[in-house]
Order: sequence, then C-alpha cells, then structure tokens
Amino acid sequence: MIRVAFDIGGTFTDLVQQDTRTGRMVAHKIPSTPAELSRAVMDGLSTLLRRCDTEAPDVDSVFHATTIATNAILENKGSRTGVLTTKGFRDVLLLGRQKRYDTYDMYMGKPEPLTRRRYIAEVNERIAFDGAVVEPLALESVDEAAQGLLAAGVESIAVCLLHAYANSAHEEAVAARVLERAPGVNVSLSSKVSARIREYERVSTTVANAYVKPIVERYLTDLENSLRAADIEPDLLVMQSNGGLVSTDLAKEYPVRIVESGPAAGVLMCGVVGREEGFDHVLTLDMGGTTAKMGAIDDGEPAITSEFEVGAIHYRKFSGLPLNIAAVELLEIGAGGGSIARADGGLIEVGPQSAGADPGPMCYGAGGTRPTVTDANLVMGYLNADYFNGGAMRIDAAAAVTGIETAVAKPLGLSVGEAAWGIHAVANGNMERAMRVISVERGRDPRNYALVAFGGAGPLHAARLARSLNIPTVVVPQGAGVGSAIGLLNADSRIDVSVSRIFALDGESDRRIADIYRELEARAAEDVARLRSDRPLVWTRYAYLRYLGQGFEIKVDLPDGPIAEGYADRVASAFHEAYERNFDYRDEEAGIEAVDWCLAAVIPASVDGDPTVLGDDGEMSAASDDGERQAYFEEAGGFVPCRVVNRFRLAPGDEVAGPAIIEERDSTTVVLPGDNARISPRGHLIITVSLES
Amino acid sequence: MNDAPQSSKSRGSNRPAVDPVTLSVLWGRLLSVAEEMGSTLRRTAFSEAVREGDDFSTGLFDRHGRLVAQGNFTPGHTGAMPYVVMTVLDFFPPETLRPGDSIFVNDSRIGSGHFPDCFMVTPAFDDGRLIGFACNTAHHVDVGGPHPGSQEVRGVSEAVQEGLRIRPIKLIREGEFEPDLLRLILGNVRFPDKVRGDLQAQRNANHVGGRRLVGLHREYGTDLIEGVIEEILEHSEKRMRDRIRELPDGTYTFEDFMDDHGPGSDPIRFHVEVTIKGDGLLIDFSGSSDQVPAGINCYINYTRAYSTFAAKIMSEALVPQNHGSAKPLQAIAREGSYFNAVYPAPSGGRSANPQRIFEVVVGALAPIVPEKAIAAFSHFSNPNVGGMDDRTGENFLYYDMIFGGLGAQSRRDGIEGLSPVMNCTNIPVEILEARNPIRIRHLGFIADSAGAGKFRGGCGVRKDVELLNSSASLCNLGDRHVHQPFGLFGGKPGRLAETILNSDDGAIALGSKETRMLKKGDVVSWRLSGAGGYGDPGERDPAEIEEDLADGFITEEGAKRDYGYNASKRAD
Repeated sequence: MIRVAFDIGGTFTDLVQQDTRTGRMVAHKIPSTPAELSRAVMDGLSTLLRRCDTEAPDVDSVFHATTIATNAILENKGSRTGVLTTKGFRDVLLLGRQKRYDTYDMYMGKPEPLTRRRYIAEVNERIAFDGAVVEPLALESVDEAAQGLLAAGVESIAVCLLHAYANSAHEEAVAARVLERAPGVNVSLSSKVSARIREYERVSTTVANAYVKPIVERYLTDLENSLRAADIEPDLLVMQSNGGLVSTDLAKEYPVRIVESGPAAGVLMCGVVGREEGFDHVLTLDMGGTTAKMGAIDDGEPAITSEFEVGAIHYRKFSGLPLNIAAVELLEIGAGGGSIARADGGLIEVGPQSAGADPGPMCYGAGGTRPTVTDANLVMGYLNADYFNGGAMRIDAAAAVTGIETAVAKPLGLSVGEAAWGIHAVANGNMERAMRVISVERGRDPRNYALVAFGGAGPLHAARLARSLNIPTVVVPQGAGVGSAIGLLNADSRIDVSVSRIFALDGESDRRIADIYRELEARAAEDVARLRSDRPLVWTRYAYLRYLGQGFEIKVDLPDGPIAEGYADRVASAFHEAYERNFDYRDEEAGIEAVDWCLAAVIPASVDGDPTVLGDDGEMSAASDDGERQAYFEEAGGFVPCRVVNRFRLAPGDEVAGPAIIEERDSTTVVLPGDNARISPRGHLIITVSLES
Repeated sequence: MNDAPQSSKSRGSNRPAVDPVTLSVLWGRLLSVAEEMGSTLRRTAFSEAVREGDDFSTGLFDRHGRLVAQGNFTPGHTGAMPYVVMTVLDFFPPETLRPGDSIFVNDSRIGSGHFPDCFMVTPAFDDGRLIGFACNTAHHVDVGGPHPGSQEVRGVSEAVQEGLRIRPIKLIREGEFEPDLLRLILGNVRFPDKVRGDLQAQRNANHVGGRRLVGLHREYGTDLIEGVIEEILEHSEKRMRDRIRELPDGTYTFEDFMDDHGPGSDPIRFHVEVTIKGDGLLIDFSGSSDQVPAGINCYINYTRAYSTFAAKIMSEALVPQNHGSAKPLQAIAREGSYFNAVYPAPSGGRSANPQRIFEVVVGALAPIVPEKAIAAFSHFSNPNVGGMDDRTGENFLYYDMIFGGLGAQSRRDGIEGLSPVMNCTNIPVEILEARNPIRIRHLGFIADSAGAGKFRGGCGVRKDVELLNSSASLCNLGDRHVHQPFGLFGGKPGRLAETILNSDDGAIALGSKETRMLKKGDVVSWRLSGAGGYGDPGERDPAEIEEDLADGFITEEGAKRDYGYNASKRAD
C-alpha cells in the first residue's frame, strides 16, 4: 500500500510517503504557502511522488494534519460569529473566569473572546441543573434574536444555553428554528460540541467551533477537490487533537476538535517510535522556533486531557481560551530556538518573547536585534554555520556573538561562552519545569520513561533535560524534522464523545451508568458512521471522577465489558487506584462522585507499526562532512574538541560516545560527555544518559 | 521585619557570589516548588473557595523563616505569610520541631486577618537538619460563628463571636493529624467534611514542598542553595530600592471612605500617607478611623499585605515577591485604628478592604507615577447565603464572589469583569445551581455604569439570585452603595452600587453589609458599582464611543450625558 501524509505548519509543510510492502519511507519538506495552503501540498505531493516513482492513482491512503483552525483562532481570522444564549446570560463569554493569570500584573488584559458583545443575543428559555424545563423556549424570541444577528452579517452561530449538557432539547429547537428561517447558516450547539458542565468553558468551546467552521469547511473542500483533480482519489483523513483521525465530513462539523492536529500527530509519532524501541512510557519533546511542547505516552497510549486552552501563555490556566475537547496532553512554553534572551536583575531570562522566523535569531542576519537560543547554540558550537538548514541558509556567527555579548555577557560580567551556556541552561530550566509538571506532578516517574525528542531544536536540548529529570534514555527518531507527518501514518481513527452527569456512585449507579453509555454509544455511532470505515471498532470508556465534595476531577479509565451489576464498584476501584497514582494516597471511606462520562470509539490503524526505514535518495546525505569542532560543554569545563558526525552516514549498530554532535538536515543532536549514542536496527538514535547515583 | 526605610546590608555578604547561570536556573527551581505546592492544594481540596475560587496561597521559606519564593496566588495571603512564619517560630522554636510536624494557626492578628484563613507551616528537614519551611493558607468554608461562612459584619462586636480562634498549635505530629485536636476543630465548624478535606490538602501541599526542597538541597548542596537564596534576596531588595530611589522624595496622601460597617453606621475613613525617602517607602494609615464594633476590621498583617502589594505594583511589579523585595516597603497604622485593629476586634468580613487599600495607595502615588495609576474598581460583592436545605435536611452555604470591572488606566479602558487585587476566579453559574437551592436569573454588565473618561472604567456587573429554599439567611458583603469609585486625572467616578431585594412585598434596597432572612421566591439583585475613569471624558476618541454603543456598554442617552456625544448625528 502507498500511504501519503502531510502536515502543514506555520513555516513548513512536511510530507512523507510510505510503501508498506517495502517498508520504505521518503520525506519531503517545503515552505508553506499561507495565502493558499493547498498549493504547497499539491506542489510537494507531486515532487514527492516523482521522487518515489509513484503514480497518483496508486496512492491508497491520504492523511493530513493542519494548523488551519489554530491559526484562525490565534490570528483572529475566523468568521463573524453570533451567539444565542439564555436570557440574562449574554455576558458569560465576556466575563470568563475573571482571574488574572499573573497576580502581580494589574495591567494585563483577558484573553480576547472570538466574538463581540454586539453579536451575542438572548432567547427566552430556562433549564435547571437537573434538566427540568423551568421556562419553555419562546420561538418568537429565537426569530427576533437570530434575525438581528443575521442582519449584522453573522456567518456562523453558536447556540449555548444554560445547563444544555443536562437537556439539549432547547438547543436543538433553536437550531431547527434558525435553519428553518435561514437555511445555509452555520450552527454549532454546545450540547453537541461540548456537553459538559461550566457555562463559560462550554460557550468558549462552542464559539470557537462556530468561529472556525466556515474557514475549515472551505479549506478542506478545496483540498479535496485539488487532490481529486490530481487523480488522488482516496478519502482524506484529518488528524484531531485527540490523536485520532476523522473523515473530512466530521472535521468540518466539529473543527474545534482539530486545533491541536499537528502537535497530536507528533505525539503519536513518539508513541510509535517508543513502541518500536520497546518503551511503553514515553515523555515527548517537540521544540521548534517559538515554543517547546511536552507530552506523555502511558502504557503505549498518548495521554488525553479534557482541559485545553488555545493560546495559553506558559501553560498558565486562564491565559488562553478554554476548549472542552479531548486533546493529547501537551504543555507548551515559550522556549524555542527563536526565544529571546536578556539579562534582568542579575539573572538571565529567556522567552517567552520570540524573534520567530522573521526576523529570527540575530545569526540569520535578517534584522534580528536581540540574541536568541539559536544564537547561543551557534556560539556554543552546537550548530554548524556552514550547514544550516541543510546548507540552504547562510549564517552570520559574528552577529550572534555580538548580540550575546551586549545583551547578556557584559551586563552580568560573563564571557561570551559562559553567557551562551547560561542562555542554553535557562531555556533548559524553563523546559525542565514544564516537563516536571507533566511528569512528576501528574504521577509519572521520569525514571520509568524514555524521552523522545524531535523538532528542529528538541534533539539539541534533550540530553540535558533528561539528565536534570533523571530520564535514562533519549530517543531521536529518524525523520525527527518531519515527526508529525510520520505520526499521521500510524494513527487510528477515533471519536470522543462526553456528557456531564453528576452523581455519587452508589447501589443505583449500575443502571445509570449503563444508560449513560447507551446514550453516548448512540451519539458516537452517528459519528462513526461518517468515518466510512468497515473495519472493526474498539470502544474505550473513561470518566472524570472525584471524591464526593471535591472540585477537581481526575481522568479514570473505566473497565471494558458489559455494564451490569457490580460495574459501579469496579469504577470505584479504578478511581481509587488512579487517585493514589496521582496524589500518593487514597481514601476508601470517602464517597465518589462522577462528573463527566466519556466514550472513545477507535478504529485501529490498518497497518500496525511495521518497521519503516526512512529512505535516502541522496537528499538526506547531501550533508555535512564528518569532522571535529570546538563546542561548549559545561560538563567538561568549557570549550572542548568535539566529534561531529553526519547521521546519514551512521548505520544500525554504530555508536558515538559523547561529547559529540550528530547532524542531519533539519535537526542537530548533542551527545553529552559520559553519554553514549547508537543507531538502533530501526534507524532511531538511542542515547543512554549517564545519571548520577 | 519592620526595617526602616534605608538601605541595609544583608547577612552573609562575605560569601562567594553564585554565578548568574546557576542563580538563574536554581531560582526557577525554587519558584516551581511553590507552584507545585499550589497545584497539589488545588487539586486535592474540598471547598468551593479553594478549588473553584483559588482562594489559597503557598510559599517557601529558608531556615531563618525568611520568604524565598511564592506561588502566583492571592496577595492577602502571600503578603501576610512572612509574618505568620516568624510568629509561629516564636511559639515553636526550631528545636521543638520534628520531621512531619505542622503548625496550624488561624488567629486574625497572627494570620491574615480573619478566622477562615487557616495557615499551615511545615518545617523541612534533610537528615535531621532544618533546611527551610513550607507554608500555605487556605480560606476554609466555615470556622463557626453566627453565620455560615464566618464572615458576618453587622452585629458582631467581638472576635470571640466569630467562631473558632486557634493560636499556633502543632496539629500534625510526624505526619499524622493529632486526633484530639482535629476532633476539637471539626466539632466546631459547619462543614466538617470540607474542612477536614481542605486540611488534608494543606498537609499534602506542604509535604510536596518539603520533599522538593530536600531534593534540591541534596542535588546541589545546602551551601549553594543558601547562597542562591541570599543572592536572590539581595538582588530583589536592591532592585526595589533602586526603583524607589528614582521616585521623588515626599509625602503623598489620599483619602476615601467605605460606606459603613452595617446599616445605620458611620462611614469608615481610609486615609493614607505614603512617604518616600531615599530608597525606602513608608505607608501610614494612622489617620484613618478607629477600629469599629463590626466584623470588618483590618489587622495589621492584612493592611501590610495589600498596601505593600499596591506600592510594589506602582513601583516595580516584576521584582520577585520575597523577603528582600519586601524590606524597603513598610506599612504601619496607629494601634487601635481600623488598619491596626487590636484583639478582640472582629474581622470576619475583612475581605471588603483589600482592593480599597490598594486603591488609596495607588491614589496617593498617582501624581508621581501617573502612567501606572489605576482608577478605583467596581467594588466586588462577597455574599453568603446559608441555611438548611429543604431537600436534604443538611446545611448549605451559597458563597459567591461577584466581580465587576477594573478602573481605567493611563493607556486603556478599565478591563471588564476581572477579579480585583485578590485575584480569585468566579464560581460557574451551573456549579452554584447544582449545589445550592438557588436559581440565578441574571449575570451581566450594567450599561452606563462605568466612570467616563478619556479611558473609561470597567462596567458594573449585575447578578440576580432567586432563593428556591423555604428560608435562608443572607449575609451581604459589599460596598460603594454610598461612596462612588473615584476617577483619576479628570476621569469621572463610576455609578453607585445597589443591593435590591425583590419579594412579594415589592423591591427594597438592602445595606451593603446587611444580614437578613430570605424566604422562598425572594430575588436578591446585586448591582456592583462601575469603575472610575481616567482622564477628561472630552478627550475620548469618538470611535471608542461608537464601539461602546455598538456593544451596549453605553446607551445613546449615556453617551450624551457622559460625553456630550450625539449618537443620532453619527456619519454612518
């Protein structure tokens, strides 16, 4: 089978083709074309197919990850969105949760909502927390409100009524009425998009869905047409934030579910690489130009969270717009190659401001005036000025030196080398804090995990991060620079549905849980039908539970099998175990309360992780020469001679002892003194980290 | 602690300097310990205030009891914490402490000014050697007293009426709660399960903090960690002093009034004198009213916490919050005055004060730091409605925090609907309704309530709540029903607040600190004041007025009244 995957990022579009019969994979990377995203895809595809001698009609599957929804949100490029809500609650979206994400900043604004007060209108109705109708829906109020919104040029409408998670009848009636009066308008219902308690988070999610729906719809339709015009006929499958693929049909209906499309695919890739190398527990690091993203794989499965904020700053709660979607658990911080360094009050600070790709680091010579992490890595000798981005880019090393000297070294009385090391170390420290949150704070012992690092800068920083957290192994996968695209090839299809039903577990609960899952299965079945797959389906249940009286729920995987007598007890034991894993204690006496019930329908990937080796058709090894240069290793006391190796000249079984630098086209790996790197039979680079004690 | 406003040499200045790289990395580590304590506390807590409202704080102290690092939490707690740890050490000198012990205190004078705020201080030992302290505070749901929530203002004349007062006790001995003490505490509160749960969460948080601190000491060595701490404290102090030195010497005064301390009582004078001399800053509230016979007084720790927070915001907000940066800032008040109340002054409802302390300090400094000045906020409302739930026969407490807008600033309008200084979150309508016999009828901005200005204040917020229970007692806690939130530099004050009770007998206005029985079907409408404006309204950009009209933040009538703007004559 010929499988093709592409991941459109802000800067680059990555494409890979895999031939499952030969186990050979070829990667291709080209600049994205933001004005017309599908152009880079189509150009890239034709080059890639040519490189692989593949005819377009021979392509069997096409997978896609995209930042289109995220970018529309972050750059305010979505559609004018109206909101219909319960009378008296027009301002829920604008009020938000009302907390400043930094106590000591009295000047900060709140995350900007995606619509304005003038486009929010009320309808007369009221439902109570238990789903009882307190006041019936007045259809004439719907007519009036909707008419006002449409007259104001609203293109998409979010319907978010109080307690709609408990009873969706009014929302459905509103939608029916609006569509009757204005066929063709886009409508998103909170009870469909996010049937969960807490009105602000639900309305925020639904508005985001409505906001990106038209743009995602147009984009995907466009892309499908272009593919068909190029004789690529198979259905396009799109990666969602939960790490599962869906049909374009569903992606268009629930575009809010694809906001973390690319990052989720990256985490999947780490899971596959971990599996190939025998690691069930994996921490992931994806460090690019502006941010670093950290995630986790437990027992071979990417960790999924239900709390996600788009545009969050330094993973601080309330700094972004909350989205109630199932998303691969990722912490994102402003630590990338472009993060700006400065001296401040005797300390070195790095990020979250970034020079991005334009003007970029000072060494790009494109107008950057403040030193960045990339400049520091260049000064330390980690990056090769003659082989930057595969030699495609000329680098101005002197500018990096001057920048670091002025902004950091002189104010702190350090040498340039020490200052560069300081910048590197502080960036690592920032990542370490985030990595600690996602590991130790969330019940994951780093000593039992391997760190899979990718993205342009991930492999450069990974070994020190691993040391500081006592992670014994670092894996730098083959194709680290096109990780998300590779992840797509191995993805399952997956639908997550959830509903809030709050009650304490007791003798009556078995029947109740059974009813909830009947309802969820029926809801998921609608979506599953639209996946257009005839392969077998696996149902997975999970829920968010807490001790009775607590306010913070934890995710608990629920037992499989029929929900019959005794099931609630099994749910309770699963909760106790999960709680103890997270917080080191359990309280068998306390009651347990359920909040959200979730169901995932998974169609496993048709090809189960056959070993695939990244082929080299000359593009890859057209690379740097092996050799030696001075590089800064604080562990060795400063600048020392360091071996430099081209990764594509290493064969499985080859070993490289640190200190060493392993270069490839899109990425650079640093091997520390005392550590040892080897190429595995699968082609991945495995670093054994020497840990103290 | 009461360091005079002059520069001081801190201890250990002969030690070798720690290099900036190590310093930067380890400082981040120390901060992350305080943050991790916070996330542990939040995630294992039981009360709404803690887990939904973020009404708690965490801090890390060195072995001398000096504040090193704090989490990003509410300043009333964080600002009082250093004094708490010092006092606790007077009661329990280090040699009386063993690994796993925790000291508990909720006294108003020693703690952060009212009984619901419970502190837990836990020493951290590495191999039997004391290396520091973990401390946290949580606002407990109830500690007894006449009204559920323990925050009643009116009719409370002595602190002994306000519930359980606990001076420092060793509540946890070598990791285990003292069963007798725990029984004593839980036997005197309305929601023993929640209080027990929150106490456990507090223990968990300090346990995590201590474990992390030990880990750091083992990894880097105590000498280096202590060197880093000295260095950070010195840097922070120096930076704070440098910044203060840039401000012109002088004494700057400001005055405002709280409406009353219960129906029919006199206004409370908030008078502040801020003196800048060299590199020290002294905030003096002595010219304010005397303490009052109502549950609203400020004990000195609370006064210190919010007045120094304000001074820090106005000077150099980004200096880390620790013993060093706190040293140049001193807050005092005459003993027996409202801001340095003497036991048994009652103080349950003292959370009406913090933003007002902030506002007057900012008001005093506004003329010399106009670019950082912020006009007065919407005053928030913190009502408690409690009683016996008809459905369950058990106590319920509807505790709410209603937040309006911030005051206008030198370059922007006041931010809408944001927590004032104490920085808590609101509690979702759907959560409140699921847990209490109430129905919320309305929650939204009040048009035309904002103080006009070149930049206008944030709008007031209205929240209407219907009681579904046969009866309940309302303990109101708000202000600005009489004295408007002030504007700055020509900006206008915001519209006054109101609390309206709608019942069968019609609508009546309630006092901002009134206690009253409610019956089924009553609807209480809290209408917060609008925040103050900044700059002359005549200078407001007409385009901004148009935007506000389109969004309904102001009406055509309001535009005409406040800005002389005739909406019907607009071009398009």
